[in-house]
Amino acid sequence: MLTYILRRLLLTFPTLIGITALVFFCLAASPGGIGGPLLKDQRRLDTVDARRIQEYYQKRYGLDKPAIVQYGRWLNLISPVGFQLKDDGTLGSFGFKWPSLGESMGRHRQVASVLAEALPLTLLLNAISIPVVYAFGVLSGIGSAKRRGQTFDTLMGASQLASWSIPTIWAGVMLIGFFANRQYFDWFPPAGLHETEALNMAFLPHWTAAGWERGWLLDVAWHLVLPVICLSYGGSAFLTKLTRGSILENLSADYVRTARAKGLSESVVLYRHVFRNSLLALITIAASILPALLSGSVVVETIFSIPGMGKIAVEAVQNRDRELTLAVTLIGGVITLLSQILRDVLYAVADPRVAYD
Amino acid sequence: MIEASLQLPATVESRGYARDITGRVMRRWGARIGAAWIVCLVLLAVFAPFLATSHPLLMKSAGKWSSPVLQSLGPSDVILQAAFWMALILWPMRLSVKTKVIAWLAVLIVTAIPSINSLHPPQLFVYQHYRDAVRSGKIEQVVFAPVPFSPQDHLRDQEDMRLQPPEHVHWMGTTDNSADLLSNMIHATRIAISIGFISTGIAAVIGVVLGGLMGYYGGWIDLLGMRVAEIFDSIPTLLLLLCFVAIYPPNLYIMMAIIGATSWVGYAYFVRGEFLSLRDRDFVHAARAAGIPLPSIIFRHMLLNGLTPVIVTASFGVASAILMESTISFLGIGLTDESSWGALLEEALGGGGTFYWWIALYPGLAIFLTVFAYNLIGESLRDALDPKLGRMM
Repeated sequence: MLTYILRRLLLTFPTLIGITALVFFCLAASPGGIGGPLLKDQRRLDTVDARRIQEYYQKRYGLDKPAIVQYGRWLNLISPVGFQLKDDGTLGSFGFKWPSLGESMGRHRQVASVLAEALPLTLLLNAISIPVVYAFGVLSGIGSAKRRGQTFDTLMGASQLASWSIPTIWAGVMLIGFFANRQYFDWFPPAGLHETEALNMAFLPHWTAAGWERGWLLDVAWHLVLPVICLSYGGSAFLTKLTRGSILENLSADYVRTARAKGLSESVVLYRHVFRNSLLALITIAASILPALLSGSVVVETIFSIPGMGKIAVEAVQNRDRELTLAVTLIGGVITLLSQILRDVLYAVADPRVAYD
Repeated sequence: MIEASLQLPATVESRGYARDITGRVMRRWGARIGAAWIVCLVLLAVFAPFLATSHPLLMKSAGKWSSPVLQSLGPSDVILQAAFWMALILWPMRLSVKTKVIAWLAVLIVTAIPSINSLHPPQLFVYQHYRDAVRSGKIEQVVFAPVPFSPQDHLRDQEDMRLQPPEHVHWMGTTDNSADLLSNMIHATRIAISIGFISTGIAAVIGVVLGGLMGYYGGWIDLLGMRVAEIFDSIPTLLLLLCFVAIYPPNLYIMMAIIGATSWVGYAYFVRGEFLSLRDRDFVHAARAAGIPLPSIIFRHMLLNGLTPVIVTASFGVASAILMESTISFLGIGLTDESSWGALLEEALGGGGTFYWWIALYPGLAIFLTVFAYNLIGESLRDALDPKLGRMM
C-alpha cells in the first residue's frame, strides 16, 4: 500500500507540471500576452512615460524573456531545489532554497500572502457545505429508499434530478434578488463575508449597554447562508441518489434476508446492517465532492462577491497575472490530485477486496 | 434534433436496434417530456427570424406588396431553413440512413455556398423606420411577426423603455438596452441548441478516439494518454475555460470547440476501460487475423460493444455544455454580439441593489428547463440501455 501511495504521489509531479504548463502557455498565447491588460492600463500617460513604465515592468517581471524561459523561471521559483534568484533578476548558485510563489503583477504583493487571505474563505465555504450536503443527502436518500416506488420516492427522484439541473448562476441571482434585496425580503446580506462593523464586535453574540450584539461568529454565519445553499443543493441531490441506490442494492443482499429471517426489526435491519454497509460508497465519494465544490465556488464567490480563491482565479486570468494564475492552478490541481489519491486509498481501506499492489 | 442523436447507433448498426432503443426510451414519461421541450426549442431556433423580428412579415407600401423579413435573412438563417425542411422531407422516406444523411448533407452544402456568397443583410438596421412609416401611413397594410421586435431593436423611437417590467406589448419586459427580452430569448435558443450538440460531439469524438487508442494499444501510449487525461481532469474546468476564452476573441464556434476540448475526459475513460477488456476477446483477434484495417477494427468492431456508456454520457454532456456556456456568458467573458441566456441573466442584478425579476426569472428558467430536459433524456437512456446501471443508481 505504501509503495502504491508513493508511486501515485510521484506521478502527480508530471501531471502538475502539465497542468501549469497548459495554463501558462494559454496565457502566453493570448493577445497582449502575459500581463497585457495591466500594461495597457498606462494609456493616460504620454508615450515616453508609458514606455518607461512598460520597460520597468518587463524588467521587474521578466516579461521580455521568451515564454519558455519565463515558465522555467517559475518552476525554479516554486521548487525547493534550484538556483538562487538575485535581486537584479539573474540566477545565482544552485542548491536548496526557500520555495516561493512569486509576486503578483496585478496586486504588487507576494502571491503567498494574497492566497493566505483567500484560501481560508474558500475552505470555510466548503467546510460548511460538505456536512450540509451529507446531512441532507443521506437523510433524504434513506427516506426514499425506505419508501421505494411510493409517491415520496417518485417525488424525491424527480426533484433531485430537477435540483441537479438548476444552474448555480440562476439560483444565486434569484436568492440575492428575492432574499437580499430591499424590494422583496431583506433577510440576508447580498455580498461579502462580514459587515465592516463586525470586525469590532466580540466573537460570540452577547448583550451590551447598547443592546444585543450579534457578534462576529453570528455575522459570518448570517452572511454564509445564501452562498452555502447555492453551493450545496446540487451535491445534496447527487448524494440522495447515491445513498438511495446503495441502500437498495444492499437491501436485496442475502445477509438482509438472514437478518429479517432472524426476526430483527426493520429499523435494526436498515440502520445497523444495511446503512453501515452502504456507508462505504458515501465515504469514498467525499473525495470527489471536494474538487466539484471548488469549481462551484468560482461561480458562487463571483455572485456573492466573496474574495476567495474562485474570485481571485477569475480576476487573475482576466488580468493575465502570471504568478497568481499559476499559483491558483497549482493549488487547485494539488487539491484535486490529492483527493483522487485519497479516494483510491479509501476504496482499498473500506473494501478489503480491493488491492493495488 | 433529438431524434437525430437517438438515431446515432443507426448509422453503424442495424436499424432494428436503433428503433428498439428509441421505442424503449420513448416509453418513459421523462424522455417524452424532455424530447417535447427540445423539439419546441428546435422549432423556436429554426423559426426565430420569423417569430421575433421588427421586420414586417408582409407589407403593402406604394401599392406594392413586399416581405422585408425575407430580405433580412442571413446565410445562417437560410441554411437552417434548408436543413430543417430537408430533414422533415427525408425523415419518412424509405431510404437507408446512410443515403438520408448523404442527401441531407448534399442539400446543406448546395444551399450553403450560394447563400454565404450572395446574402449580405445590413449589419446595422434602423428598425424604428417601419413603425414610423406605419404611423405616417406610408405603409398601407402590414403583418408583423408575433413578437414584433428584433433582439437588436433598442426602441430608440420610444420614451425610456429601459428595464420595463412585463406588460402587454413586451410580454417578458425589456432589457438593460431597451431590447425586448422575449425576442432575445427566442434568438438565444439557437446558441443553446447548437452549443450543446456540437461541443458534445467534439468532446465525444476526441474522447472516443483517444480512449480507443489508449485501450487498444496499452503500454506507453496508454500511460501518456492517461497523464494527458489526468491533466484535463485535474484543472478546475471553469479555470481552463477562462484561460482558453482569454486567448481567443469570443466567438460561437471557438466557444464550442473550447467546451468540447475541455470535456472529453469522461468519454476517454469509459472507452479505454471498455477496450482494455475487449482487446483480447476472440472476435478482435479474428478481425485482426482477417487483415481488417485498424480504424475499422476500432470503430466498427470494438466501439459498438462499448457504445452504450458513450451515448448515455453524451446526453448528460449536452446538459453540462449548456450550463458551461451560460456560466461563461454570465461571468461576462462569453459571447458579446449574440444574445445568450447566461448573458441576459447577468443583467438581472443592477447596480445599487436593484433586482429586475423578469430578467432573472425567464432566462434562468429557460436554462434550467433545457438542462433538465437533457438530464431527463439521459436518465431514460441509461435506464433503457443499461438496466444494470439503472437499478444501481
